[in-house]
Amino acid sequence: MERKEFVRAIEACRFRVNLAGFLGKLAAALCVGAAAGIFFQTVSFVVPFYYAGLYTILALVLAVLTASVAAYAGRTGMEQAALVMDSFGFDERIVTAYGNLEKEGAMVELQRADAMRQLQAHPDKIRITLLPPWKRIGSLAALFAALLVLSLLPSETKERAEEAHSVREEAKEKEEEIEELVEALEQLEQEELAPEQQALLQEMIESLQASQAEYQQAASSDMVRAATEKLNYRYEDMGSQLAGLAQSLQNGAAVSSVTAESLQALAEKMQGMGGTQLAQGTAGQSGDKGSNGKNGQNGNGGQNGQGANGQNGGSGQNGQNGQSGNSGGGDGDGGGDGDSGSNGGSGQSGDSGSGRGTGTGTSSTPHDYVSIPNDIADSGNLTGNAVDHDASEYFRGQNGLSWEGTHMSHEAVIGSYEQNAYEGIAAGKYPSGMEEIIKAYFSNFD
Amino acid sequence: MSEWENGGLQDPAYMAQRIAACEKEIQKGIIGQREVIREVMLAMLTGGNVLLEGMPGLGKTRLVSTIGRVFDLSFKRIQFTPDLMPSDVTGTNIIIRNEQGSAFSFERGPIFANLVLADEINRATPKTQSALLEAMQEHTVTVGNDSHALEEPFFVLATQNPIENEGTYPLPEAQLDRFMFKILVRFPGREELKGIVALTEGSQEPVITEQLDRRGLMAARALVNQIPIADAVMDYLLDIVMDTHAGNPYIREGASPRAAQALIRASRAKAFLEGRFNVSFQDVKDMAFPVLRHRIILSFDAVSEGISEDDVIEKILEENKKV
Repeated sequence: MERKEFVRAIEACRFRVNLAGFLGKLAAALCVGAAAGIFFQTVSFVVPFYYAGLYTILALVLAVLTASVAAYAGRTGMEQAALVMDSFGFDERIVTAYGNLEKEGAMVELQRADAMRQLQAHPDKIRITLLPPWKRIGSLAALFAALLVLSLLPSETKERAEEAHSVREEAKEKEEEIEELVEALEQLEQEELAPEQQALLQEMIESLQASQAEYQQAASSDMVRAATEKLNYRYEDMGSQLAGLAQSLQNGAAVSSVTAESLQALAEKMQGMGGTQLAQGTAGQSGDKGSNGKNGQNGNGGQNGQGANGQNGGSGQNGQNGQSGNSGGGDGDGGGDGDSGSNGGSGQSGDSGSGRGTGTGTSSTPHDYVSIPNDIADSGNLTGNAVDHDASEYFRGQNGLSWEGTHMSHEAVIGSYEQNAYEGIAAGKYPSGMEEIIKAYFSNFD
Repeated sequence: MSEWENGGLQDPAYMAQRIAACEKEIQKGIIGQREVIREVMLAMLTGGNVLLEGMPGLGKTRLVSTIGRVFDLSFKRIQFTPDLMPSDVTGTNIIIRNEQGSAFSFERGPIFANLVLADEINRATPKTQSALLEAMQEHTVTVGNDSHALEEPFFVLATQNPIENEGTYPLPEAQLDRFMFKILVRFPGREELKGIVALTEGSQEPVITEQLDRRGLMAARALVNQIPIADAVMDYLLDIVMDTHAGNPYIREGASPRAAQALIRASRAKAFLEGRFNVSFQDVKDMAFPVLRHRIILSFDAVSEGISEDDVIEKILEENKKV
């Protein structure tokens, strides 16, 4: 055996030792990674944890990386490989020969020859197992099986986590959209505008920021839907205001055409967004709710009907929201429902808006501006969803959403309220068991 | 003319065979005690001195005399007693009167031999024991102002009785350190005892023939010193010696640097005797016991718990496990 051949034999052994070391470390690291994955998956059964799957994959990837780094850092050198070979019964002949490979001398040469002779005579003695111990492989297989089962097993918590995640994503998308609009409004040449026009723009910006805050706080799909409804209304409203503003600027010619055009473009954009979202939001699911349209309380929706997408108003899809007329532009299409419902006449009233469709707060959607007069908004007697009303621009602005808050005696309205309530009972709008309570409530006034 | 005188002295393989033949020849005269024979042979190959500890009548003297015959070495036996004086060991200057007048002449003591058996060395006073120190380490004897070189090879094989402590003077640590090995001579087994009785009480003494002369022995020793040691094996060896110091609760004093030297030499010799030209982990492990057991001083904890030097060495080897 030549020296080169001797060194090659050690190199071959080193490669196998390193490979075996890597596989062993990989198996161990994957065991740890799989255990971590099992932990994440288990947690996702207890608390909503949308990223359990992603974290599991990350843990496994990290395990592979760690094993690779550890295997590289702890890689076997030539001398160690020679020692490994010696452990198969060569009595440190190989490591001694390798250490003295370049040395000369009778004894050293004799030793080297002895080592090479031994290695040549018994090459089959060296058996390096590449696979990790079977126990480790078994553990790894069991852990992966458990991980797979846990990740595929459905649960209510997982569904909740997915829903929360989609809510968050939707809200985030909206926040970005609003952010863009706010920036667009801020970039307008406000110096060219009159102070009241500047104030109007500022008000719009604050209104959009309020919507943004609502999206940030949205924790459920209902909250997002509510925020979207409000935003749609705001879009419509702002679109109209901006269009008017642009028109007045163009007529007055007191500002540059650029500003006027920007305003016009923004107005169209907002109207388009509002209209689009109306169309999207309606999805026609409430065609059969036309009967709700007859409630006409969606009069404010009628205003929306005036928007660019007034024709969508006819889709009446939000008739289902008829009862929650407060829900803004979309609800306005409740007027549209009137077209298809018994309130054909109300359809027209939809156009005229201003209907009394303020709803009675029976909507499950939380709104902070539902038919509460400003002067009693802080009343301690109010309960329910009057949360964060301090943050409401409507409250702060001392102005209702679409009507001025007025204080009326209950005798003036109780009759119509009672009538509406009884009609609602007849139409089966209220949950079973509530009818008697409602009746008792109104009978007390009698 | 012997084969080894025809150039074989430089041939490691041939010399290894000769040494193995010597061992075999010694075993003809000593029944059993193969480990003891092997370790004494190793000491001779490395030029070290040996302390044999065992009960009387286990064939220690016979072993030394047999070795002397196999290697054709001069052999002297000194029975150590409390009244033995240093000059009884080393020799002394005496007045010689002749035709030219009177003059001092150095009369050599029994230490002037290749093989010296210091029987029951712990019975002599420390003063006499220390007379051996210079001879064992420097291979010289100084009397008055004159130093006298001892003839090479020079080995001291001392014996001591482990159970009779009354009237004995335990060897000081400095002197113990000069012994390369402390070999425990154990009582033979039944079959071995039967063989010993048959051998010694029989009508025919075994014929022991010379296998290697002193030149051959010195050449073998030179070859042993050339045996290479891999770094990994050297690290292992040093770890073992260092671990006799590093906070071991059972050791009051650890092994000296001389222990490391002795362990290297002994491991080389063992490899050579087994026909290898490199030192293995197993060589170091096997040699750790005879090299270290008299070089570590046990702590009170060890003594009170009945832990022996060999137990402590075993534990150290276990902690540094390689084979």
